[in-house]
Amino acid sequence: MNRRTFLLGGTSALAALSLGVSGTTAQTSDAPVNIVIAGAGAAGLSLASRLRRRMSKARITIVDAKREHYFQPGFTLIMAGLWQPDDVTESNADFMPRDVDWVEEAVAEFDPESNSITTSGGQRLGYDYLFVTTGLNLDYAAIEGMETSLIGQEGIASVYAGPEAAAASSRAMDRFLEAGGTGLFGRPATEIKCAGAPLKMTFITEDRARRQGRRENVELVYNAHNDTVFAIPPVNDKVETLFAERGVKVNHGHVLKALEPGSRQAVYETADGEVTMDYDFIHVVPPMRAPDPVRNSPLPWQEGPLAADGWIEAERETLRHPRYPNVFALGDVAGVPRGKTAASVKWQVPVVADNFVAETRGEEPVAAYNGYTSCPMVTAYGTAMLIEFDYEGNLIQSFPFIEPLEERWVSWLIEEKGLKGAYLAMLRGRA
Amino acid sequence: MSEFDPLSLFAILYESFGVWFWPAVILACLLLVSIIASVVLIRRKDLAFGRPVLIALAVGATTTFIATLLAPAWTHADLGALGSIVDVVAAVALALVPGAAAAALAFLLVAVISTGRRRL
Repeated sequence: MNRRTFLLGGTSALAALSLGVSGTTAQTSDAPVNIVIAGAGAAGLSLASRLRRRMSKARITIVDAKREHYFQPGFTLIMAGLWQPDDVTESNADFMPRDVDWVEEAVAEFDPESNSITTSGGQRLGYDYLFVTTGLNLDYAAIEGMETSLIGQEGIASVYAGPEAAAASSRAMDRFLEAGGTGLFGRPATEIKCAGAPLKMTFITEDRARRQGRRENVELVYNAHNDTVFAIPPVNDKVETLFAERGVKVNHGHVLKALEPGSRQAVYETADGEVTMDYDFIHVVPPMRAPDPVRNSPLPWQEGPLAADGWIEAERETLRHPRYPNVFALGDVAGVPRGKTAASVKWQVPVVADNFVAETRGEEPVAAYNGYTSCPMVTAYGTAMLIEFDYEGNLIQSFPFIEPLEERWVSWLIEEKGLKGAYLAMLRGRA
Repeated sequence: MSEFDPLSLFAILYESFGVWFWPAVILACLLLVSIIASVVLIRRKDLAFGRPVLIALAVGATTTFIATLLAPAWTHADLGALGSIVDVVAAVALALVPGAAAAALAFLLVAVISTGRRRL
């Protein structure tokens, strides 16, 4: 045992508190229901673990072809050059609960009218209850000229595409800082997971340039998709202030439409028409949408702001589908405001599990999800702002002594050392 | 914080420590047992607690101080990242872990050496 191991304990305690570990006594249910969980991501695994422990007679099937499981909050730290891809790569098999059937195929079709799904291998699985936890689709193809094979080349970075892409992005950032020039950042107009990540990458690039003594050689521009850089007003004000102090130029109302990697030009849609900008480095955040099998099913919102990208219609406090009451949506694919972070999953899963167990016991489900989400907003190497908020945009403080809008090492400590242990415990339904 | 659950914290610690969890628990228990045994030994030999306690405090404080300075580096940050009292308190709180371990070891060693000398 070494000092690092000792210190991990204290950090993990902080992480546990930051995720708002709940202390409810779990009820059990003997209902012999047939449950299908579509997706073995954070929400799917966590839910499967919780339901398995609390519903001994239920048949639980989880459907997902993915074998690797990524600790996605670590991707930004890979691009920052601090972590390696191995640090965020786990095996789904290690977190699959016992006595859960794992169908290692993708979901190809949802048919809620007949209470069944069809897998990519042609299996048709019926269910009494369906929990959709498929995650989302990174739609790089929606940006003309962009493809994931370009990440790490021609000055193109993108932290979202996976651990290897994040590592390639880190190398691209280093080359950019060495050569100098213009770096472009931004985000798409769609809902995205971890909306703080595009801002984090801007801060990290700026701080790295400063630490290398090359800040004067680079111009950094953040192209916001609308008139703010972050949806929560006080956070937006703080980030814009920090950007101004650090010489990061902000353009509002710019949505990346196309890339021309050869000539290193990016085309943005703006209210005044298309604008072409030269770049030496660009961090691309793709539009994000529900996966095609979800979008092609009757499950998505039929109207409203969440309809266009196929997010599943769900009551925001219970995550239950209003038209198909035996269907629930959790995690990134859920059509609720905000809520596309691991911290959201941490709060969504216990609510859904508690309500479901109560319902199968013949009791009234009373748990409610308040939209909690969290973003340790890295503002430099060694500092972050621990930002937590709910559906209404109210800032929440898990720790009364950590001001959410102040740059703190303790918040960085939680991000860098504490969250992974909490995340893995969450996958096992233990946190 | 009011909803803090020790069982969840245990799970998080378990995942954070990985394969080092049980060795760490065993080592901590051994240290605790050794301290208790040392106290019993000192009492039986009718020796004063002053010297081992003072040395343990000195070693513990020194280790805590050094570990506090190193805490930011452990997180890939520099000392300047400790920009507020909350950061310093957090760093000290973390540093207290190796500090306490070092203090316990020092107490143990001094107690063993002292009681051995008395026997001679």
